[in-house]
Amino acid sequence: MKHLLASTPALAVLLGFATASAFAEEQTAWRLFVSDHAQPIVHAIDMETGQKIDTFNVRAPTSLYRSASGRTVFAVQGKGDVISVLSSGISFGDHGDHGDISMEAPKLLDVSFEGKKPSHFVDHEGDIALFFDGEGKTRVTREADILEGKPAIREVTTDAPHHGVAIALGDHVFVSEPNLEKPDELPIGIRVVDRSGASVGGLHDCPDLHGEASSGNLVAVACAKGLLITSTGTGAPAINLLPYADLPEGKSTTLVGGRGLQYFLGNYGPSAVVLIDPKSDDAFRLIELPTRRVHFTVDPVRAKFAYVFTEDGQLHRIDVVAGKVDASLKLTEPYSMDGHWSDPRPRIAVAGDRIVVSDPLKGVLHTVDATTFTPTEEISVEGKPFNLVAVGGSGEAH
Amino acid sequence: MLRTIGFASLMSVITLTSLGTTSASAEPLKVVASFSIIGDFARNVGGDRIELTTLVGPDGDAHVYEPSPADAVTMSKANVVLVNGLQFEGFLQRLVEASATKASVVELTKGVLPIKMKQGHEHTAEAGSDDHNHGDLDPHAFQSIANARIYVKNIADAFCAADATGCDSYKANAEVYTAKLDAADAEVKVAVAAIPEDKRIVITSHDAFGYFENAYGLTFLAPEGISTEAEASAADVAALISQVRGDKASAIFLENITNPRLIEQISSETGVKVGGTLYSDALSKADGPAATYIDMMKTNIATIKGAILGS
Repeated sequence: MKHLLASTPALAVLLGFATASAFAEEQTAWRLFVSDHAQPIVHAIDMETGQKIDTFNVRAPTSLYRSASGRTVFAVQGKGDVISVLSSGISFGDHGDHGDISMEAPKLLDVSFEGKKPSHFVDHEGDIALFFDGEGKTRVTREADILEGKPAIREVTTDAPHHGVAIALGDHVFVSEPNLEKPDELPIGIRVVDRSGASVGGLHDCPDLHGEASSGNLVAVACAKGLLITSTGTGAPAINLLPYADLPEGKSTTLVGGRGLQYFLGNYGPSAVVLIDPKSDDAFRLIELPTRRVHFTVDPVRAKFAYVFTEDGQLHRIDVVAGKVDASLKLTEPYSMDGHWSDPRPRIAVAGDRIVVSDPLKGVLHTVDATTFTPTEEISVEGKPFNLVAVGGSGEAH
Repeated sequence: MLRTIGFASLMSVITLTSLGTTSASAEPLKVVASFSIIGDFARNVGGDRIELTTLVGPDGDAHVYEPSPADAVTMSKANVVLVNGLQFEGFLQRLVEASATKASVVELTKGVLPIKMKQGHEHTAEAGSDDHNHGDLDPHAFQSIANARIYVKNIADAFCAADATGCDSYKANAEVYTAKLDAADAEVKVAVAAIPEDKRIVITSHDAFGYFENAYGLTFLAPEGISTEAEASAADVAALISQVRGDKASAIFLENITNPRLIEQISSETGVKVGGTLYSDALSKADGPAATYIDMMKTNIATIKGAILGS
């Protein structure tokens, strides 16, 4: 087990030496950002050494989201009425026949977004939409402007505070429509607004709206009876409902978008996930799990795989082509899904060739070799390590 | 001006694992074509001996295509996978990996003399979202009919290797189709000859016509680079507008696979009317004017000629 704050282990020294000697050529770097369930802190960990790089203080215990480029990490503090932004310190430049990697220290940027009860972060090609439930308001900005320290903010308002979401798609913003009769309940649809704030077309019905993801040029929003699917690209975005069709009674409320393959992975009932391939005649494939589901994510590197953690302490690998669980691995003691939805339970992130699973009650991050799907080292983290995001990749260092 | 440089030695064959010869196949050969133009070639060579699936269909953009799990299933069952190569299909490697296909993956540009992409369109986008680049070679070799003949020969060879019983049929089909390509090639050359030499500069959305330019003597300028994924810089657009205003470009065209906004902007700022739609990286739908490769080449030159001579 590796311990944060411990002296640099011999292995890391060797790794460091090897890295340094090859510095002018290919370099791989992954950083893990870990929030604590109870404390307002975010750790940055170097996944090549297992060592902590830094710890950043924020206002409240936070959820973490990474931008698509990986240059920024957003700390959404629902109970702190603020969203803080960290620079991951890793960036890439694409030069056609090769990519460059640039490294600097991660840091908490002097940019934050204040507002009541921030809830959802959505990045679409660098256009970032931040939704604040307590105001029913979206703040839209661009990652490039944030990194320059001068974020231009465009606000999109709705008629009432509600638990909503917004997606910035070029000239348009998709924003949830509150249930005005019962504002405490989930939104009833999606409205498209243009840059002037004017509605484009009518309301797209989506009762019980909760859950959004993008995969390639498709954006999906989960509703009571199916998914609203938007295809972006040439012309104005079109929105169509993809009904759940032959699935048993239920709905998705959380979606993750496939990377490398175009699909969505959603929850469906407490003990299943559903693979959604909007372009296929067989759009929904339900995958039953042995026990209740805790968390799930997709593998951004190995397009064929996604991962689900269940309350019996197992990590399951899903083959999204075959549509089944093809391997399972016991990693932690059981984490019951009884109790509050936000109790500390494991979360999954994929950092290059490693799958990382937080074990908040043990203060440990479990790592799994993504190629062999076997456990590797453990990294101890003080407190209750909870939310995880991984940033990194390979490139030429100059 | 674009230079033609031999880079045959740099060409990479992505995968060449062989499923083995199907000597007496009662089943049709299962063929996957990466995009619509290759699908048309395969249909002409394979006839009814093949069962064809085309991944990126009519009006689809292979540069930014996102394969689905269903595509991976199709790929896993294929006997032969036909691709363009020269990194045209950015999605190919991950689809091959995800599908674990044992099919022969055949690059049809093998034997083509590749040309370099035009200067000034180096990628500057941030990486990190997807590994995706096109190297420095122009992959749109199919825009020359002479190269299409090479594609067709490579397809016949691939089908023969996978289905020896049908080899004579594949070769005969290829011969018939190649004769049609020759006729189309001659037609395009005649049409270009009717365009005055000082009127042979045109503008399209992205650099898809380098091989057309080399083969037939027109010059194509584009605000976007080799891939539609790379956004045009403001400087690129401004330079093009300046050229059009200087009467150095005779016509501007939309493409069937790209967002028309940039071209419409150039048209609006220069007053030069858009001359129509060119089919660059994909065929039209069946009821369109470019539903086959030969129709595509004929339609494109007819559109160009009509716009220039009418301007």
